[in-house]
Amino acid sequence: MSSVSLAATPSASMLLVGQVRRDLKIAMRSPGDLANPLMFYALAVALFPLGVGPSPERLAELAPGVLWVLALLATLLGLETLFRRDFEEGTLEQLALHAQPLFVGVLAKIGAHWLVTGLPLVLFAPIAALMLNLPMQALDTLMITLLLGTPILSVLGAVGAALTVSLRRSSLLLALIVLPLYVPVLILGAGAVAAVVDGVDSTAQVAWLAALCALALTLAPFGAAAGLRVGLD
Amino acid sequence: MASLKEWWHRLGSPRTFYAIAQRAGPWFTGLGVAAIVVALTWGLAFAPPDYQQGNSFRIMYLHVPTAILAQSVYMMLGAAGLVLLVWRMKLADMVIVAAAPFGMSMTALALVTGAIWGKPTWGAWWVWDARTTSMLVQLFLYFGLIALRQAIPREETAGRACAILAVVGTVNIPIIKYSVDWWLTLHQPSTFTLTAAPSMPPEMYLPLLVSVLGFYALFAGLVFARTSNVILDRERSTAWVRALVREQTS
Amino acid sequence: MNPIRRNRLIAVLFLLAGVGVTTALVLTALNENINLFYPPDAIVAGEAPVGARIRAGGMVKEGSVEHADDRLAVRFVISDLAGADVPVVYEGMLPDLFREGQGVLCTGRLGADGVFVAEEVLAKHDENYMPPELGAMHKKPA
Repeated sequence: MSSVSLAATPSASMLLVGQVRRDLKIAMRSPGDLANPLMFYALAVALFPLGVGPSPERLAELAPGVLWVLALLATLLGLETLFRRDFEEGTLEQLALHAQPLFVGVLAKIGAHWLVTGLPLVLFAPIAALMLNLPMQALDTLMITLLLGTPILSVLGAVGAALTVSLRRSSLLLALIVLPLYVPVLILGAGAVAAVVDGVDSTAQVAWLAALCALALTLAPFGAAAGLRVGLD
Repeated sequence: MASLKEWWHRLGSPRTFYAIAQRAGPWFTGLGVAAIVVALTWGLAFAPPDYQQGNSFRIMYLHVPTAILAQSVYMMLGAAGLVLLVWRMKLADMVIVAAAPFGMSMTALALVTGAIWGKPTWGAWWVWDARTTSMLVQLFLYFGLIALRQAIPREETAGRACAILAVVGTVNIPIIKYSVDWWLTLHQPSTFTLTAAPSMPPEMYLPLLVSVLGFYALFAGLVFARTSNVILDRERSTAWVRALVREQTS
Repeated sequence: MNPIRRNRLIAVLFLLAGVGVTTALVLTALNENINLFYPPDAIVAGEAPVGARIRAGGMVKEGSVEHADDRLAVRFVISDLAGADVPVVYEGMLPDLFREGQGVLCTGRLGADGVFVAEEVLAKHDENYMPPELGAMHKKPA
C-alpha cells in the first residue's frame, strides 16, 4: 500500500457533505416517498381520538406516549429503503471501496435520512400535540426530546437496515430487530414529556437522552458499516 | 503466550470441539438434570413456606434460574458474536445457532413462571413492572436474532449478521434494563447476588442455588450436544466427519 | 501517511470525541434526580415539589390506618421509623399485601397542607423471604 492517490481522493468531510447532498437530491426527486412517513404520522395521530374517544382530558393523558410511540413507527417506515437503492445499483460497493472509512459514508447517509424523516417529525410536533390536546407547557419538551431522540432512532435503525440489506423483503424483520432497541428512547422521551405534563422537572430525562444520542451516534455507525460489509460479501 | 494462542485456536477447530463435546456433554446434561430434580424436590416439598407469601413463593425455584439463564445466555451470545467477528472462528457461529433457542425458551419460561407467581402475589397474571418488562424486551431480542438468522439464506452471511446483532443487543441490554428500572420500580430486588450475603435463610436459598447451578449445567450439556449436531451437519464433506460416519455405521 | 493508518486514526478520533461527549452528558445527567421518589424525611424537610405527581414511600405506621365507614377512603401515615411522618389519604382498593408496619409505595400529589393525596398505593414486596416462625419473631420486638 502506498499513499500515491491520496491527494486525488476527497477528504472525510468532503465525502460527508457530498454524500448528504447526493442523498438529499435523490430524496427530493420523489416527493411522494419523502412525505410518506410524515403523512403516516399525521394519520395515525388522527386515528387515536377515533379509537379512545374525543375527551380532551383522556387525550392529554395519552398524548406523550402516543406521540412518541408513533414517532418510532414512522421512523421505521423509511428505514427499509435507507441502503436498499445504493445496494442494488452498486453505489454501496463504491462507498465500501472508498479511500475514506465506510463509517463516514454511513454517517452521511444516516444524516440525510434523518433530515428527511426525523426532522419533519420534530417540526410537525406542535400540530400533532394540538391534535391530541397535549398541555402547552410540555410542547418545548416534546420538541427537544424528539430532536434528541429521532437521531438515535435513525442511527439504530441504520444498523438493522444494514443487517437486512441483502434481503428482498425485510420490513417486518427490520421492525422485529430494531424496535426492542428503541425501548430506552421511548421510555426517556415519553417520560420527559409526561413529567412536564405532571408539573415535574424533566432535565434528567433530557440529559440522559442527550447522552444516549451521543453514544448511539458514536458507536452505531460502526455497527452499520460492519453490517453493510457482511451484506456486500 | 504462544501456547495460549495455539490452545485457543485449537479449541476453535470444530473437530477438537466435537471430541470435547462428545466426552463432556453427557456429564453436564446428567449432572444438570440430577441437580434440577434434587433442587425442585427440595424446594417444592421440603423448604419452609414464606411467612407472607405462603407456598406460592416456591415457584421461585424455577423462575429465578430461568430468568438468570435468559440473561446470561444472551451475554454469551454477544461474547460468541465478538469471537466470530474478531477471530473469524466459525465455531462461534455454530455455538450461537445451538444456544439461541435455549435462551429464548428460558426467557419464555421465566415470563410464564413469573405470571404464575404474580397471580397470587399481586392478584394479576401480568403486571408491567421493571423485571417482567425487561424480560419481555429480552424475549423480543431473541426473536429478532433467530428471525434474522433464518431469513438470510447464506450460512456465512447469516452468521456474521447475527454476530453483529448479538453484540449490538448485548451493548443495549444494560441501557434497556436501566431505563426500564427507572420507568417502574416495584418488584423484589434481585433475590440473591454472589457478592452480598443472601437475605433468605439457608434452607430456602440452598435449593435455589442448586437449581441455578443445575440449569447452567443443563445449558452447557445441551449446547455441547446441539453444537455437535451443527458441526456434523456443516462439516459433512470433510474427511474426518466421513471417517467418523463410516466408523459408526460399519 | 499510509491510508489504512489514516483511516484508523479518523475512526479513533471519532470514537474518542463521541465517548468524551457521552461521558460529559452522563455526568450532567447523574447530577439530576430522575427518580421522583421521595422518602418521608425528604417530604417533611420540604424537598418534594407541591402539586406535582411524585412517588412517596415508607413504612405504614402501626395503628395509623383509619378506614371510612361508608366509602373506600382510607387515611394512614407513612414513616421512615426515625421520626419523619407523612399523612396519606387514598380512596380505592388497597393491595392484599398492605399491612401496618409494611413498606408501601404511593403515587400522587403532595398538598400545600402537607397531606399526600395518593392516586395509587402499591405494597412494596418484602425483599426478605423467611419462614413463618422467623417472620413472627421479626415482627415482635418492634
